[in-house]
Amino acid sequence: MDEEMVRKVARVARLDLTDEEVGRYAAELEDILSAFEVLDEAPAMEDFDPGPVPVEDRLRDDEVKPYPDPERLRREMRAADGWVRGPRLT
Amino acid sequence: MTGKDLATTVRLADERYRMFAEKLEDPLAYEGGHSFHFSAKDNLCSVEFQARAGSRILEGYNPPFDATAIKRLKEAGGLLIGKTNMDEFGFGSFGTNSDIGVPLNPFDTTRCCGGSSGGAGAAASVLDGHLSIGVSTGGSISCPASFCGVVGLVPTYGRVSRWGLIDYGNSLDKIGLLASSSDMIARYLPVISGPDALDPTSQVQPPLSIEGDVGSVAIPEEALAGLSDGVRKAFEEAVGRLEGMGVEVRRVAMPELRFALPAYYILATAEASTNLARYCGMRYGDIVEETDLGFNELFSQVRSKDLGNEAKRRILLGTFCRMVGLRDRYYIKALQVRKLVIQAYERQFREVDAVLTPTMPFVAPRLDEVEKMSALEAYHADFLTVPPNLAGLPHISLPCAYIDGLPAGMQLVAPHWEEGRLLSLAARWEREFQYRRPEGGA
Amino acid sequence: MKIGLEIHIQLPTRTKLFCSCSTAGDEVNSSVCPICLGFPGSRPMLNRRALEMGISIAKFLNCTISERVWFSRKTYFYPDLVKNFQITQYETPLGRDGHFTVGGRRIGIWEIHIEEDPGRIKRAGRAGEEIALVDYNRSGVPLVEIVTAPDLTSPEEARAFLSDLLIELRHLIGLSAQDETTVRADANISVGEERVEIKNINGLKNIERGLKFEVKRQSKLLAAGKKITRETRRYDEERGTTLPSREKEFEEDYGYIGEPDLGTFNIGQMARALEVPETPLARASRLEREHGLASSSARQIVLTSWELADLFETLAARFGAETATTWTLGPLSSHWKELQERHGDGAGEKVVPIIEEVHTGAITDAEARMRLDVLAGREAVIATAPTAQGDLEQLVVRLVDEHPEVVKDYRNNPRAANFLIGQVMKETQGRYASKEVSDMIRKELEKRV
Repeated sequence: MDEEMVRKVARVARLDLTDEEVGRYAAELEDILSAFEVLDEAPAMEDFDPGPVPVEDRLRDDEVKPYPDPERLRREMRAADGWVRGPRLT
Repeated sequence: MTGKDLATTVRLADERYRMFAEKLEDPLAYEGGHSFHFSAKDNLCSVEFQARAGSRILEGYNPPFDATAIKRLKEAGGLLIGKTNMDEFGFGSFGTNSDIGVPLNPFDTTRCCGGSSGGAGAAASVLDGHLSIGVSTGGSISCPASFCGVVGLVPTYGRVSRWGLIDYGNSLDKIGLLASSSDMIARYLPVISGPDALDPTSQVQPPLSIEGDVGSVAIPEEALAGLSDGVRKAFEEAVGRLEGMGVEVRRVAMPELRFALPAYYILATAEASTNLARYCGMRYGDIVEETDLGFNELFSQVRSKDLGNEAKRRILLGTFCRMVGLRDRYYIKALQVRKLVIQAYERQFREVDAVLTPTMPFVAPRLDEVEKMSALEAYHADFLTVPPNLAGLPHISLPCAYIDGLPAGMQLVAPHWEEGRLLSLAARWEREFQYRRPEGGA
Repeated sequence: MKIGLEIHIQLPTRTKLFCSCSTAGDEVNSSVCPICLGFPGSRPMLNRRALEMGISIAKFLNCTISERVWFSRKTYFYPDLVKNFQITQYETPLGRDGHFTVGGRRIGIWEIHIEEDPGRIKRAGRAGEEIALVDYNRSGVPLVEIVTAPDLTSPEEARAFLSDLLIELRHLIGLSAQDETTVRADANISVGEERVEIKNINGLKNIERGLKFEVKRQSKLLAAGKKITRETRRYDEERGTTLPSREKEFEEDYGYIGEPDLGTFNIGQMARALEVPETPLARASRLEREHGLASSSARQIVLTSWELADLFETLAARFGAETATTWTLGPLSSHWKELQERHGDGAGEKVVPIIEEVHTGAITDAEARMRLDVLAGREAVIATAPTAQGDLEQLVVRLVDEHPEVVKDYRNNPRAANFLIGQVMKETQGRYASKEVSDMIRKELEKRV
């Protein structure tokens, strides 16, 4: 995890880092990842699940239940004329 | 106590220990014939308070719904008196990673409460008869329970609906309870448990039983390395007391436990880095309305300004672990290791009723000590609480010692869905071992 | 030339993929809820019908169905994506390695999966400074993504592929005309060695246009001895051209992880229990095989109407393919709309006896046609025309009388009769079989020669 990698990851994650931060995180994450190397000793397992307990076939019926107060949600998002305002596209 | 008295008590406690991010201010709100009072960690949504999850990026987020756990406690006659302080989004073991408020340890206010449910631990410790809802991802209920001298129960993953919980790691987050004795927890765990249509992962649980007991425990040798002298000694005394109660104690080896910490941090930060992507100054919390910036610039600017140090570190780590060319070695491997760790526990549970370890390797550190810790040292503090959290196993932290006046806890881990036996043992333990309340406790 | 498509189609469910909001929102940000807005504390719940539709499509496309699937998070930052991650399927698609035949050619299907649609952006403000105004009614609508192998060999074939696919999906999952306007595709096309990707083209017409432009562009470059850069381009709808994608200032690495909130799905079982109904073009193929129909005829029948194809099969079973074909492709096809309007489901029942009678010779072609006309409500034509055999004789006699020059020519040239045949056909508006008319005219002419 060198500084170049930290900058790349920061861009992907939409974080602006100062040079000082880049240097600091690079050192810290390098330590952390070294500590993670112990995982290479763990045996590979055939299959795996996304969670710790089996959650299988949980499905919802295709019945419309309109949300009772969409205006409340629009207010929370500071919508204007119903539209949610986003930043510039360029 | 009258509503007015409770209001005063809460205000004074908050002034002294800073456990609340937000609380009921109007004394009249405390009248109303509620049968008990509770608080919720600030990453749980309720309609009457903001939900900031310890972060400036959610400043001004007023949820339009109650978390299911909160809704159920309200329906059972509970008064939600406030939202407790926490490490930002759950990122921390000391309660110190938040600009909104850092709670102080009721046993010694120069020390931290633990984290990330630090405020929850303080509230349960200080306020008489209070129930705190906390959330555990890697140890965030157990740690403050240990440091603040209260009982902390983390149910099985999926036992309590996570609807209304602001996510840290979706395969790791568990809503649980802290209180100064286990009977409060035994009474209210059934209230917050049970399937919820709004959370599919809550729909696979068998019925909750408060029955069962712990007749035998296994202590993995891996849990006895890296402890402070005080904790090691205190733990062995507690073990002796358990044996005196008739609990059979076996010493075992669980070598897989050493993989749990890295696997946990990989999965937790990978999931967190995606959960936090939505916080970008556009739709919730800190919304930036006027800007000349392009969307990528704006998103980056808001996130960098509002997210704390630890949040950024975990986002970087988590993003890294799931990137192209890296995700097999880190993310996929971590998923496999979780299964490995679960199987290691299951092997123990064929022989014993619970696995026993100290909860934390030391007592609550001083705030200046926390400041000096490196990231890796801080992560390593979780090495005892992470394994059951990674595995989604129910576990309880019980105060078992006072080391120079500071509380220390012991942790019991049970098989999936077997919360009952933990609460039974807790009740028995409380007849044998007297918990102390902090001076200035109300 | 190699063309591959990544096709997105909205599934015609009532509710969104992960919440119970209606997929039919009209006013801006009206069909929304905390889940499809990604509110902190919300979490998804999978729509059963969307999963079933996805599995039907996978099975229909002859895919190997995964036994167990789960969903994944694809993380990237854009104003239309509420969580800044899209819930899709990465590790485990619904099906892989299928195929779909178009124009007699088998096109490989690499994989198919379901995922959620983002919201819709409206651009506002001065050009170059436009901001995004977002409507999240579309956020969370279920999409099926179908990825083909690069087996298509021309823009026309790509269009035919999509067109035929939609015909089949209309029947399979009830895709509506409205849903079809939502079809989007990314296309991969290589005229030479290098592959160029064109992203996000809306609608079949634009897809064909975009591909045609790209073929021309790549061919021109190759003809001039230049190299084709491997790149991602975008389609300009107004000009019908492809352009290089705007420079990416920011990196995206989708960083796929599992979506733990939804759990896993044992779709192998679901797929085995699902019966794929016969779809129109599949039916057309079968009609070709079973009844020796020409491909275009079979297609015409099934595409006119499902019930017409039913009727064809009934007639074929009872009276043989030839009779069934003649009558179905002819008057039944042309009258079908009116027959359905007036008789609905009962149209077939009323038609069969008429065909039976003409088949056994109890009535003439003409009589049968007339009765079908009546059935279809074309009364006006009947009222003014002669309907009996005798009337035709009268007409023929009158016309021969009126054209002695034809009689004279006929002595030396039998083809002279054609003029009169044409006249009779014109006057009777084709109500009589041409053979019948021809026979009668020749008979009359013979008498006078």
